[in-house]
Amino acid sequence: MKQETVLTGIPISPGFAIGKAYSYSGYTYEIDDSSLDTDSVDAELDRFEEAIVRSERDLRKIITVAREKLGDESADIFDAQLLMLRDPSLYDAVREIVQTDMRRADYVVDHVINGLATRMEASKSEYLKDRASDFHDVRDRIVRHLRRDKLLSAVRHGSIIVAENLTAADIVLFSRRDIIGAAIDFGGATSHVAIMARALRVPSVFGLHGGAARIESGTRIVVDGVKGRLIVNPTQETVDRYKKLRKRYDQLIDERQQFVSLPSETIDGRKVTLRANFEFREELDLIRENGADGIGLFRTEVMHLMQGRMSISEDEQFRTYKHVVETLEDQITTIRVLDLGGDKLLPMAHREHNPFLGWRGIRVLLDKPEILEPHLRAILRASAFGPVRILVPMVSDTSELEEFLQVLDRQKALLRKRGIAFSDSIPVGTMIEVPAAALMAGAISDMVDFVSIGSNDLTQYVLAVDRGNDLVAEKYQELHPAVLKLIKLTIDEAHNAGISASLCGEMGAESRNLPILVGLGIDEISASPTFIPELKRFVRAIDSRDARQLAESVLQAKNTVEVNTVLEEWLTEHPFDLAHLLEADELSAPTD
Amino acid sequence: MIVREASRFASDFFIEKDGYEINGKSIIGVMTLAAEQGAELVLLFEGDDEVAAADAIAALFEEGFGEVK
Repeated sequence: MKQETVLTGIPISPGFAIGKAYSYSGYTYEIDDSSLDTDSVDAELDRFEEAIVRSERDLRKIITVAREKLGDESADIFDAQLLMLRDPSLYDAVREIVQTDMRRADYVVDHVINGLATRMEASKSEYLKDRASDFHDVRDRIVRHLRRDKLLSAVRHGSIIVAENLTAADIVLFSRRDIIGAAIDFGGATSHVAIMARALRVPSVFGLHGGAARIESGTRIVVDGVKGRLIVNPTQETVDRYKKLRKRYDQLIDERQQFVSLPSETIDGRKVTLRANFEFREELDLIRENGADGIGLFRTEVMHLMQGRMSISEDEQFRTYKHVVETLEDQITTIRVLDLGGDKLLPMAHREHNPFLGWRGIRVLLDKPEILEPHLRAILRASAFGPVRILVPMVSDTSELEEFLQVLDRQKALLRKRGIAFSDSIPVGTMIEVPAAALMAGAISDMVDFVSIGSNDLTQYVLAVDRGNDLVAEKYQELHPAVLKLIKLTIDEAHNAGISASLCGEMGAESRNLPILVGLGIDEISASPTFIPELKRFVRAIDSRDARQLAESVLQAKNTVEVNTVLEEWLTEHPFDLAHLLEADELSAPTD
Repeated sequence: MIVREASRFASDFFIEKDGYEINGKSIIGVMTLAAEQGAELVLLFEGDDEVAAADAIAALFEEGFGEVK
């Protein structure tokens, strides 16, 4: 019996899967060594080229992630693999043998690379011997792409996919083969494949840093998509435990479907509006399905970045926004105006030493009226088709807001003159993500119709921690009392001005944080649509008076550790979130 | 590292060891050459920018590639 191992990654899509692994990375193919007809040589070379192009695409993506998450040394290994793909000793050699020997590319790639790897293995140096594995990785990657269709169709129903990396398209194809879970080495919570995994409700753990690719097909594994764990070779005891968890989880999911149509309010009747973050077209249907109350954050950058150009015409933008607004009917669509800069690269190949403290958000837009003006007109025109709100990013000073409102007024005047319909009373809100804006929330609230706290940026600015930097990532703490104090200040000032305060950011998606936010008085939370049912179930279980007590005590905490201790205690007494519910069940379950 | 640096130049670059000659712009070539530390290598550069290329590669060797492997 092999030993049980537990690997920890990022929980991507909640749920539990118990079953056998299907490795999408391993060397699990059989090589076809039949010869080719003269006619099919060209087609075979095309097939090889396509596999090389796909392999290059893979590796480029992996290199970017690896450099960010694993450090330069790991990234260099993939960088070397990328160079190998077009190396004459491989690329030219394969093409030549396919042409002269008329063999299939899979066979030739296998043959050529095995020959090279054998030479590496024969080396006296341990370091070079180890490098033979790079050759095997490159071989597997190319052959995998050559045989992509076959590999996809070879999946057994009810398998759990383990892979180094998957595309969003892969996971869609796999889900048609009824896979029950996925464990992937690369990819974060906001990657496209993660969004698809959630949308398709495939329990998934990502970020396993090499752990997933090492698992062989047929190995028994358990995916814990709630805690972000992968258990390899589970003991019978573990399997039984997870079977119970899975049963209870399925029950909870069934139960919460009934919440979709119910109002989002606490036991004592305080309303907490739950809206959806929206970015990709695929998410549009999910908004209503999950019972979200419209869109709290429509990220408009994606459309611009995906098209790779800034000059998307007013009409083109208008059509996109109109489609969303019409789909949502009477529900609110909150459109955040273009937030370029920071981690969203400016297409103008603009480079800065300190992009997060540089030219981004409203600062770019006020400098670029040729971008801002048509963008605002497109949003205004969409407001004729349903309720739309405008959200302004990266405001640090009231003067920026003043200038923005003037531009908006001029666009309204222009549309009026042209006789084009729009909603004159379109509400305007400000993102509170710069500490200065939080501290000046009173003055800002007097100028706008709502505020929305961007917790991701607010946290990184307050704590001076770059969340993309592994060296300091653990200092990035959304529950730091300094962050909570600024959130509290913002909400209080908004309420004094008689406007609502919402929060968008990862902090709002995690149900564990919900009681604190409710206790601080938040009016709205915006999160990825698939998180909404869970948040709503939790909102409906909370008494806002209990939550307020919790908020008061976490505000007294001296650091994040203390906040967490207080919160854990509270959650143990009020086990309403998924993780604690499952845990409470486990503790109370009779041991057998 | 050698491969990246060498690829910046137009000149051809070959490495010779024990009678074998490989293309210095080929990572697989360089890896399979299995150049261990202390091995004797002959570097050949041929082309318009051969002097600049030779200097750049020689500098890499002198710096020990930033790390010793």
